[in-house]
Amino acid sequence: MPVKKRTNAIKKKSVTFSDDTTVTQNEHNKKDKDSEHPPVSVKKTIFTIPIHLLGLLYCYIFVSESFDTLKLLCGLIPTQILYVILQFNRNTVYGNKRLKVNVLLIFIAVFAALGVSLPIMLGIILFGAPLIDKSKETLLLALHASFLAYPAIYSVFNCNFKVGTWKKYFIFIILGGWISCIVIPLDWDREWQAWPIPVVIGSYIGAFFGYSTGSYFL
Amino acid sequence: MIRNRMEQLSIYKIRFLKFRQSHTLYVLYLTAVAALQFIAIAFFTKGFLLSRNVLDDINELKPSMYAANSSNNGFVHQQKFEKTVILVIDALRFDFVIPVNTNNSAYNSNHHNKITTLYDQFCKESVGKKQNNSLLLKFLADPPTTTLQRLKGLTTGSLPTFIDAGSNFDGTVIEEDNLIKQMYLNNKEVFFVGDDTWDALFSPFLSNHSIPYESLNVWDLDTVDNGVISYFNDNLIRSEEYKKKNSQWNVLIGHMLGVDHVGHKYGPNHFTMKEKQLQVNNFINDIINVIDDDTLLVIMGDHGMDHTGNHGGDSIDELESTLFLYSKRQNVWKLEDDHSVYNIDDLGSNYKSINQIDLVPTLALLLDIPIPFNNLGWPIKEIAVNELEQQFFSNITLDQLKKYQETNGLFPTGSDKYRMLENLFNTSKENYELSKEYQAYLLMLCKDLWANFEFPSIAIGIIFLFLSLIILITTTKLIPSIVVSQMVPIFVPLIIMMIFVSHLCLFSLFYVFQPPAFIEERFWCSLLATAIGITLACFSQIFERYSLKWLIFRFFGELSDYWSRVGSVFIILHAVIFTSNSFTIWEDRIISFFIATIGLFTMYEFIFVPNRESTSALLSGVLIAKERDSKKIRNFEEEVYSDCLPLTKIQRALGIYHSLILICCTRISSFITICREEQGDFCTPTFSTSSNYSINTIGILFVLMIVVPFCIQGYYNLTSSFQGSAPIWINLFLRLVLFGVFCLWGLNTVENYLNEPILEINMFKISLARSLAGVSLIALNFGWIFGPLCVNLGITRTKENSKENSATILGVKNIYGSQYFLLVLNIFMAVMIFSKPLAQISLYLMLNQILSVIEIIDMFKLKENIIGPVILNLIAYQHFFTTGHQATIPAVQWDAGFILSETISFPLTHIAIFLNTFGPQVLASVAIALFTLWKQPPLVLKPQTMLGRIVSNCGCLLIYNTVLCLSTFIWVTHFRRHLMVWKIFCPRFIFASLSLIVTQIIVILITIAFASGRLIRQINSFFWEF
Repeated sequence: MPVKKRTNAIKKKSVTFSDDTTVTQNEHNKKDKDSEHPPVSVKKTIFTIPIHLLGLLYCYIFVSESFDTLKLLCGLIPTQILYVILQFNRNTVYGNKRLKVNVLLIFIAVFAALGVSLPIMLGIILFGAPLIDKSKETLLLALHASFLAYPAIYSVFNCNFKVGTWKKYFIFIILGGWISCIVIPLDWDREWQAWPIPVVIGSYIGAFFGYSTGSYFL
Repeated sequence: MIRNRMEQLSIYKIRFLKFRQSHTLYVLYLTAVAALQFIAIAFFTKGFLLSRNVLDDINELKPSMYAANSSNNGFVHQQKFEKTVILVIDALRFDFVIPVNTNNSAYNSNHHNKITTLYDQFCKESVGKKQNNSLLLKFLADPPTTTLQRLKGLTTGSLPTFIDAGSNFDGTVIEEDNLIKQMYLNNKEVFFVGDDTWDALFSPFLSNHSIPYESLNVWDLDTVDNGVISYFNDNLIRSEEYKKKNSQWNVLIGHMLGVDHVGHKYGPNHFTMKEKQLQVNNFINDIINVIDDDTLLVIMGDHGMDHTGNHGGDSIDELESTLFLYSKRQNVWKLEDDHSVYNIDDLGSNYKSINQIDLVPTLALLLDIPIPFNNLGWPIKEIAVNELEQQFFSNITLDQLKKYQETNGLFPTGSDKYRMLENLFNTSKENYELSKEYQAYLLMLCKDLWANFEFPSIAIGIIFLFLSLIILITTTKLIPSIVVSQMVPIFVPLIIMMIFVSHLCLFSLFYVFQPPAFIEERFWCSLLATAIGITLACFSQIFERYSLKWLIFRFFGELSDYWSRVGSVFIILHAVIFTSNSFTIWEDRIISFFIATIGLFTMYEFIFVPNRESTSALLSGVLIAKERDSKKIRNFEEEVYSDCLPLTKIQRALGIYHSLILICCTRISSFITICREEQGDFCTPTFSTSSNYSINTIGILFVLMIVVPFCIQGYYNLTSSFQGSAPIWINLFLRLVLFGVFCLWGLNTVENYLNEPILEINMFKISLARSLAGVSLIALNFGWIFGPLCVNLGITRTKENSKENSATILGVKNIYGSQYFLLVLNIFMAVMIFSKPLAQISLYLMLNQILSVIEIIDMFKLKENIIGPVILNLIAYQHFFTTGHQATIPAVQWDAGFILSETISFPLTHIAIFLNTFGPQVLASVAIALFTLWKQPPLVLKPQTMLGRIVSNCGCLLIYNTVLCLSTFIWVTHFRRHLMVWKIFCPRFIFASLSLIVTQIIVILITIAFASGRLIRQINSFFWEF
């Protein structure tokens, strides 16, 4: 009896602990604290530089006519998935091992990104985007932002929901978008000042810097 | 034992007196700093706001005498008309009088195609039948388009400067040469009826039979017009004397205000406008019918109106007005041969236009009176019927302009401009057809020049404001408040002494030497001496105790923590807005964006707080928690530490909720906007008369009126402070006053739907508004002085079924804050009375935001951090914009002035407009003390320390406003030749200065002097603790 009681107590304690620091806990091996939460990091290499983002931006600004944001999104989703498979996941270190690409998670993360875009859209509106008119543009911007964060979302799923490690990537994208808002009110009368073009470009640049240098930050 | 008690009592009394004394000294010291800032603002304003050099010379040369004197090929000039009827229709925009195609997208059935007489006369008789007896022209006003300035321009022919715009409420007699004066000097009897601005400007020259009417009561649509019409009936339309050609008057002037007032009250699209315009049309018809051959009829507008019905700026809608000249005689005008210049397509945008000041020489020549000396206008081409006359008109105007140019000496001989003028003048003399170029160039030069800045004053203003900023930062943030309270007793006498010394020095210096021009007057010299005295006294005291190095070191030390950096970054970002006209235009949106960002920061902090230990206050909380764990302190001692513990999960959730409230309220209130004209298509105005008085708005108000007191109750319940006087105040007083406010504005709404105002409603409204204002501004604040404590004795059973009871005082934890917030509520109620319905919604949201911010700041233990005042000030600015204001002159809601009284009366009108405009700022300046007082348990801080912390937070608010003011000073000076300076930067600088002044006055008088001192004294004597 006393033994049973004791194990119960331990179990309870571990549950509350994991609840305190992470959003959910994974199912496999709970025995060892270290193996349960091995350090997650991204290698400091030039291979994580997302060159495709620059290419997409180039097409968006110079090739596509009148800044076709929808087309850009169509380009972004597959290239981001490829980026995760070929570059980002390869350089993610989980404990001592490299992680393999989890095909199921790739798809789950796509849906997660789609789902995340709605709260992002709400956030953008709270920051001052028009409520009803131009909601299509706002939604497109939100989709861009969430798919720019796609590698981070995938990694959150893949690495035991350690939000703390990956939030810097989200911050970089938000920061890029935030700073790019500077050009919106200026009276230069350029076509690229139309909503949401500057913020799209800004968040791309933010994401580029984020994925290139994210591993050097905390 | 008794002796001991006596000793305690005497110690208590001494401490109490000491606190009172140092409190008074604190207030005096802050007043001195405020005085320094006011002087700085005064100097800058004096240097920057333009003033024009008015010459008092009078032209005495009549055109007929000029013709006789000069060798004009024997040309004889005589007055063309015996009598003149001038009808000014205020805000008669040009598109009101021309036919507008109903297919035009701008067409509106309420204000287009209603005044048809003018164009009919012009088109059918003058052009069609070639009678050449009427002339319709577009009449371009010069900005600022306020009635006083326009009347000055219309009669003197000169360009009134911006500083005059403020004196619309205080028009005084024009001294400079003008048309009315010339009429009077040339024995013409001038009868006047209408807008009393004329009476203020020209009273010595008008006949005793004139009847001026009150002009600024924009709610009254008919009194002035009916007065004008009956006066015209008596003296012109139905006058037997006039028919027999022996009427008393030579000039009959009427000034109708109906169209303008409808615009101000309802906007041009309201159906009332239609009725008004039809009335005007009939009236004009009547006049045209009875005019005889020897009478000249002039019908004109003084300015236009914008899409909201207001005016004052320089948009094309505000500038374009109408001029109509008419006579029964044929061929008095010579219309342009090419009739296509009178093109009415596209709302008449290509119609021939003349400058408003051109009317001055035109009328002078037609009536044979001397052209006013300061005139810069040019006679209308059409009034000369042949070439000889044309040449004569050119010559006489040219000579007048030349004489004016020579006399005022604005362009010294030898300068480039002078040579250019000479060239143009000489060519004009040779070929009269070129002489208009001389006038055009002179006019352009004068327009440029009456941007005449006084740079020494500007520099003094900027320097002293900067010095006051340094003093504020050092004494409120850098030097510990205990040291400041020790310094203050020396400060105050020293300041007074230094003011005397600097007066003595400055005056003796200028007794010996010639003072520079900008301080020639005693008054300004004395102000400068006062400023120098205050600055020297403050700096000598500061540097006596601290070295510059230490202060700089401390400055960066102060900025070392995360939240201070965030706060100062936002201050800098806000100040940087004024570097560009685009940012200044969009300031309302940018500020909402800033608040949302700060809300995001706090939310981030609440979500991820365990992973982040950089916030110093929270770090200390964690350390204490660790210490407590290691020492295993028992349960009852935990109470003491409970304030220093790291945030619990529930607290974090609550914090996230408060952050969301902050962000959401910001976004919701930012839907309310009046839109600057420059924001153009990117902004749809939601703060209009129709939306303010719509059923939806009133419905929302009704719901908020019921819900918001519950919200406040919720915040009180967080610390179980909803005790004692709080329920009475919130459930009874607040609800009653809010219900009264709701009735007041509900009645306004009803009135808006009525066709004609009912006198009883108006009387009832005013008495209701007065009693509400009396309750909220006087009675409740008087009641607050008696100290409504929000505590209660709570008795709980310690154990179930036992007879032992334990008593706790409920609400002790928030004893200061809960009471102080009742004062904030008083101010809130007062502001609500004077706010329009949509603005009231915004203010309700503001109250929630303030409470949420205070909770957030309290949870982060940032009570002394700069971030709190920064958020509060941002909220105040945001609600300035969302209560239907903009930093422009026409956006001032003058009609709010008539809530308390029907006529303009000091101080009722002024209080109403002040609280309407600066309500959010006043609310924020009072609420600032809550950062210190909210959830401040008694017996923890000494009264001195608490006062010091309040002053420090108030100092932050002042620092923020000073930085903004300084930034506008610098940038408005930098952009002084910018195209947009008078439209964007200058109003913003005036607004920043006024905000700083308002914040200073409210913070010192109400927050520190009145409320905080009294509150601390009362509660601490309650606990016998000093």
